[in-house]
Amino acid sequence: MLDLMTVDSAGDIAPAAPATKEELLARVAHGDQSAFGELYDQIAPRVLGLVKRLLVDHAQSEEVTQEIFLEIWQSASRYEPTRGGASTWILTMAHRRAVDRIRSSQAGRDRDTKIGIRDLAVAYDHVAETVEVRLEHERVEKAMTRLTQLQRQAVSLAYYGGYSHSEVAEQLHIPLGTVKTRLRDGLIRLRDELGVAS
Amino acid sequence: MTGRNEQHPADLAGAYALHALDADDTATFEAHLAESERARIEAAELNDTAVALGLAVAPVQPSSALKANLMSLLASTPQLPPLTAGTTDAPASATHKAPVVAPVVTSTLPAKPTSTTPTSGGGAPAGSASAVTDINSGTASGPHRTATERAQARWFKRPAQFMLAAAAAVALFIGGSFFGQVLNSNQFESQQASGLAQINAADDSQRAATTTADGQEATLVWSNKLGISAVLVDKLPVLPSDQDYQLWYINGDGAASAGTFDSTGDGTAWRVLDGTMHAGDQVGVTVEPNGGSDQPTTNPIVAFQS
Repeated sequence: MLDLMTVDSAGDIAPAAPATKEELLARVAHGDQSAFGELYDQIAPRVLGLVKRLLVDHAQSEEVTQEIFLEIWQSASRYEPTRGGASTWILTMAHRRAVDRIRSSQAGRDRDTKIGIRDLAVAYDHVAETVEVRLEHERVEKAMTRLTQLQRQAVSLAYYGGYSHSEVAEQLHIPLGTVKTRLRDGLIRLRDELGVAS
Repeated sequence: MTGRNEQHPADLAGAYALHALDADDTATFEAHLAESERARIEAAELNDTAVALGLAVAPVQPSSALKANLMSLLASTPQLPPLTAGTTDAPASATHKAPVVAPVVTSTLPAKPTSTTPTSGGGAPAGSASAVTDINSGTASGPHRTATERAQARWFKRPAQFMLAAAAAVALFIGGSFFGQVLNSNQFESQQASGLAQINAADDSQRAATTTADGQEATLVWSNKLGISAVLVDKLPVLPSDQDYQLWYINGDGAASAGTFDSTGDGTAWRVLDGTMHAGDQVGVTVEPNGGSDQPTTNPIVAFQS
């Protein structure tokens, strides 16, 4: 599963095993503000990192991050642990919110068109890195090399750039139908490389 | 859009997982999901794959103000009630086999009664939560359940509208600028809040986003079933005291006033519209003389097509 827990478990044990994000989310659903604070501490840098990857602008990214956490607060009761890890739930929501922001604001359209397509490695330059992030990053980077160039570009533009499939088609000068199949084939390839489908 | 290029909806699976579809294509694909078990499994896996891409991004430490601000907003931010067991899967009932059993978890799970009790519903019981943890921390030692089993138990089948509506609901409470405040009426305020909650809880809750003439983000959320809607605008400018913003339902019969409001100029101003919304109505906002007009006298600063 795609949860930070996977990586944590490979490393050293934390001094006092903190509550898992799933446990925290369950408490948040019952209005527990301190659980919310803990959950925030655990995952906010992940959320902001992802949002900022798409939006670039720091202030706007913090704004969207705030919206995301309020959404977590509001809809924690709707999180169903049987359907996946809390990180997956939260990062899916975060990506969707960042994309929403891009689609609904002019700011999104004014962004540097190179944002999505730039190399993952480039975006990774200024990392105050931790072991877990480094591992996760290397794993994905390696998997990315197994895609065709077109697949990689299409997936990167869509996910990291927040571009719609028709915008991806425009940027890469390929037909929409081709973009669709590249996005799907690319993700399937990544899925297999990352072992998401066990 | 799929019609134009005559492709199978299944081709949209990648773009769907990457949030790269527009509303039409999303609807097309979700209709496909409702019909195909295989498509649902693939969608769940591709969603996980997309999240892996997200986890590869370098974290960025938020400002301390962000947390402080958030924590201060919690008390005034209502939480959605848990979905009861009976209604949880109602919108998605066609999309997966009932019951969706938690215990795809196997060997690593200590026997816990709650983890196998479907009646625990959507309340995120601690037993299930720890079960998930076990899965997560156990991936290195090998698969504990098949992809099919896991995918059957995904939340992605929750209609997309729900997430969008919830997102919109959240936006409402940011900044706390509430149209109704000017009326200084608690009853009005609570009616407004309850109207909004109803829209967001509706299983046909929908949302449209656009920008005003001056570029502020504006959102309409509505439920055709309930016949109500609400408008939200970010950082809507303050009007001089002799003017009001006025809401309109517009359809073949003309424009009907749906109430007036003010804005404090920052945060998100919002208001549930008066009157009944009919499917296909347009919703518009104009600037009118104080107290509102019988019919719009200026061009709308923003209009939505529901």
